[in-house]
Amino acid sequence: MARITKEKRKTTIISAALKLFSQKGFYITTIPDIAEKVGMSVGNFYNYFSSKDVLAKELVIFISEYLGKNIRKINESDLSTEEKISEIVSMYFDIAKNKPEMIEYFLRVYLSNREVFRDGCEGMICVFPFVTEMMMFFNDGVECGDLQDQDFFSAFGLFMGYLGGMVFLFGEKILPQPLQEYEESISLNIYNALKSR
Amino acid sequence: MITKQLIDQIEGEASIYFDMKDDVVDFATISFPHFRGMETILKEKNALDALVITPRICGVCGHSHLMATVRAIEDAYNNAGFPIKLNQKIDSIREFTLIMEIIQNHFKWIYLTIMPELNKLSKIQKIQTPLKGAFAASIASKAIALFAGQWPHSSYMIPGGITTDPTNIEILKADSYIDELITFFEKESIGISIEKFLSFKSSKDFKILDSDISYLEHSLMNLKMNKKGFSYDRFLVIGKHIFTKPSLLKQTRHYKINQKFVNTVISYSPNEISYARNAQYKESFYETGPLARTISSNFPIIKNMHRYFKDSAYTRIMARVFELANLLKQAKDILKTIDISQTSFNKVLDISKISASGVGVVEAPRGPLLHKITIEKGIIKEYNVVTPTQFNIGSSKKSNLTPAQKAMRGLSKKEALFVFRTFDVCSVCTTH
Amino acid sequence: MHLNQDKKPTLIWFQGLTCNGNTHSFLNLSNLEQLLNKFEILLHPSLTSTQSFHAITKCKISCDIFIFEGTYDPLMKRNGILVSKIIEYYALCAKHILAVGSCASFGGMFKASAPQRNSGLIFNENEKKGPLLKHQHKLINLSGCPVHPEWLEYILNMIAIKKEIKLDELHRPIELYSNLAHHGCIRNEYFEWKIDANNFGEKEGCLYYKQGCRAPMTHSSCNKILWNEVSSKTRVGTPCFGCTEPDFPRQNLFSTKTNMSIPEDVPLGIPKRSYLTITGIVKTFHIKRLEGKLIDYKTTD
Repeated sequence: MARITKEKRKTTIISAALKLFSQKGFYITTIPDIAEKVGMSVGNFYNYFSSKDVLAKELVIFISEYLGKNIRKINESDLSTEEKISEIVSMYFDIAKNKPEMIEYFLRVYLSNREVFRDGCEGMICVFPFVTEMMMFFNDGVECGDLQDQDFFSAFGLFMGYLGGMVFLFGEKILPQPLQEYEESISLNIYNALKSR
Repeated sequence: MITKQLIDQIEGEASIYFDMKDDVVDFATISFPHFRGMETILKEKNALDALVITPRICGVCGHSHLMATVRAIEDAYNNAGFPIKLNQKIDSIREFTLIMEIIQNHFKWIYLTIMPELNKLSKIQKIQTPLKGAFAASIASKAIALFAGQWPHSSYMIPGGITTDPTNIEILKADSYIDELITFFEKESIGISIEKFLSFKSSKDFKILDSDISYLEHSLMNLKMNKKGFSYDRFLVIGKHIFTKPSLLKQTRHYKINQKFVNTVISYSPNEISYARNAQYKESFYETGPLARTISSNFPIIKNMHRYFKDSAYTRIMARVFELANLLKQAKDILKTIDISQTSFNKVLDISKISASGVGVVEAPRGPLLHKITIEKGIIKEYNVVTPTQFNIGSSKKSNLTPAQKAMRGLSKKEALFVFRTFDVCSVCTTH
Repeated sequence: MHLNQDKKPTLIWFQGLTCNGNTHSFLNLSNLEQLLNKFEILLHPSLTSTQSFHAITKCKISCDIFIFEGTYDPLMKRNGILVSKIIEYYALCAKHILAVGSCASFGGMFKASAPQRNSGLIFNENEKKGPLLKHQHKLINLSGCPVHPEWLEYILNMIAIKKEIKLDELHRPIELYSNLAHHGCIRNEYFEWKIDANNFGEKEGCLYYKQGCRAPMTHSSCNKILWNEVSSKTRVGTPCFGCTEPDFPRQNLFSTKTNMSIPEDVPLGIPKRSYLTITGIVKTFHIKRLEGKLIDYKTTD
C-alpha cells in the first residue's frame, strides 16, 4: 500500500468538504463531519486546516487555481480567440456538470457569505489565479486585434456574470435543456459582444 | 566675385556668400544647408507628443520651444471653447525656467562665441576663458532642473499647468543658485556689484571697470563697433512675459503688435540651397532679441547707448549683457511670487476632444518664437514654427535686405563675420 | 605614473543631423575643465579646438577618439563633403568611436526626417545595420536624448585610463545602462502599492499606469546619476519617455497603452502573468497613508 502524500490528503479533504457543503450547506457542515467523511481524526484534521475559516478560504484558492490552470491551458493553445471563448465556456460548464460542488461553493458560499471571507480573502486576493488568466485572455485577444479594447471589468463582468448566471439557473433546475446545449449560443453571444468592430 | 565663408561654432552650420566691392561687403547672402522637417514629423501625431518633439528642435533653446508648444495647445483649448485656468504659481515657475534658459544662453554666447571672436579681431588681446560661460550655464541649468527635472530637453509643461509640485526646498535651492550666479557674474564677468552695474547711465561708466565685460566694451569701442553693424533700427517684441513689453518699435517709438501679422517668405540664396525661410512682420524686416526687448522696456543704459550709437553692433552686444544682468535679478523676484499651496495643474478636457487651432508665442533667447498648431480630435493636422533667427538672419534680395544682411554691408569681411555673430545665430532653429 | 609622458588622446566631436542637445548637455558637466585637460580637442562645435572645422572635413589627420552626435543621413554633406566619407575616414583611424545621443546610437528623433535612409551609426532602431557596422568592435553607443554628461565623462575617463568598457547587446556601457530609470524614482512606494497618479502636478502617485511612464522598461541611470546633479524627469512628475531605447521616440507619450485596462508593456523581464497577479493582490489593499497627500499645505479645513 503506497504512502499517501500530505498534498493528496489535503486534496481529499477539499473534495470531501466541497461535497458536504454542497449537500448539507456551509454553516451546518462541521469539521467532525468532514473528518469523518475522509476517515481521519478531528485532531489530525487540524494538522491540515487550523480552522473552518481557514478551510473556507483555502477552498476558494483551490477552486481559483483549478479554474486558472484550465483557462491557462486554453490561453496558451493555438486556438483562435473565438475558439478559446468556446473552450472556456465548455470547460466551465463541464465543471458545473461533473463537479457541481466546485461552482456551487463559489457562487453560493463565497459570493454570498462575504463575512466569512472578509479577513484574509479581501477583494480579489483569493481568486487571483483565475482572474489573472482571464486578464491574460483579454490581453491577448485585444493585442491580436480580435477583441474590442475596453475596460477590463466591463468585459469580465459580461463573460463571468453570464456564465455564473447560467450555472445558477442550472443549479436551480430552471433550464429545460442540459447545460451543454447552451454552449454554442452562449459562446457566440460572448464573442459577438466582445469582438472588435 | 563671390566668395563663400563657412561659419562654424554656431548652432549647426551656415555659409555666407560675400560679394565684395573695394574690399567691403556690397551684398551678402546666407544659406543654411541642413533640414530636419520637424513640422512634417509633427503631423498626425498626438498633440501632447509635440511637448516632447519640439524641444528637440534646438539643444540650447529647447525650453522656449516647450513653452511655445504648451501655449499653442492651451490657446487651442481656449479657441475650442474650453478655456484653461492657470494660476500665479504655474505662470511663475514657467517664467522662471524660461528666464534661466535665456541666462544660460547669454553666458555661453558671451564667453564661448563673442569674446573669442572679438579677441581674434581686436588688437588688445586677452586670455580667453570660454569655460566660464559653460560653468555659469551649468548653474543656471541646475536651477531649471529643480523644477523641470533636467536641462536640456525637459517636458514638464503640459496643458493645464506643470508636472512638478515643488516644496520650499526647491525654491530656496533655486534662489541659492541664482545668488551663486550673481556672485560669479559680479566677480568674474563685470567686476562690480550687479546693482551698480544695472544703474550705469552710459558707456562712460565702464571706464572704472577692469573685467571681462569691460574688456568686451573697450574692445568694441576700439574697433569702432559703435559705428558699425547698423540695421533697420526697428524692432519686434511679441512674447508676453514678466520681463517683456510686447511692441513693434521704430527706433524707440512704440506701436501695437499682433502675432497674426507675422509672415514668412522663401529666402534668397542663389549660390546654395538654403532651407531657412525669412520671417517678416507685415512683409517688412525687423530685428528681434535682447536689443529689441531692452529698448521696449525702456532700459535706461540701453536707451542711452541707442541714443548715441543706434542699433550698432556695440549696442546689440551691450543689450545682451545688460539683459543678462537684469534677468538675474528678475529670476530672484519671480521665486518670491511662488505660492506652493496653489495647484500645479488644473484638470483639462482630454485632448482627444479638442479640434481647434492655437498660437503660442514666447520670447526665446534670440527673440520671438511662434508655434501655430491645428488640432483635430487631439491629432496634429498642421504645425508651423517661426524662430527668431528667421527674423534676424534671413537672406533676401539686395533691394530688401534682412537685418543681418543690412548690418554687414560696407564692412570688411572680418568685421562682417563678427557683426553676423552679434545676432546670435541658431541655424538648427532657423531651418527646423 | 608618468602621465605627462603619454601624449593626450586626441578627440574630434563631429555632428550629423542634430539639434545640438548632446553638446549643450555636455557643457553642463561640473568639472568640465578637468576632464578636457586629459584630451587634445581637435574639433568641438563650441569649445576651443586646435583644428578648424574646414580642416577636419578634409580628412588629413587622424584622431584617437571620434565622437559623433546626430542622426546619420547618407546624403548629408558638411562643408560640401559627404558625412559618410568623413565618418568612414575617422572610424578607420580612431581607436574609439562614440555614438553620443540616441540619434547617433539608433536613429532617434531625426530618423523621422528621412525614415527610409536615416539611421544610427551601427543600429537602425533595433536592427543591427549602419554605416560603421564593420567598426562595431570599437564603437560605443551612449544613447539618451540628450546623453547625460556624466555618462560621457565616465566613458572618456575609462578611455583615458585605458580600461576595458563592457557593453550590452546594444553596445551601451553596462555599468551605465544596466539600471532602469525606475531605480531610484522617489515615487517607488506608489509603484509598489499600485497607487496610480490621478493627475499631473501632484507629488503622489505612480506615473506608470496612466501617464505613460516608461521607466520600468528603460535602461538608464537617470534616477541614480541625477540630471544636472539635482533631479530627473520622474522626480518632477514627468513620465520617462524611454529616450535611451531604440524605439525612441514612441507615440502617445503621455499615456499608457492598455489592452482591456492591462498595460501593454509590463516592467522589463517580468512575465505578464506574474505582474498581473501581484498587481491584483496589491490593489486589493487600501493603505490610508499612501492614499492621502504626502504634504498637506492647507491650513484650514
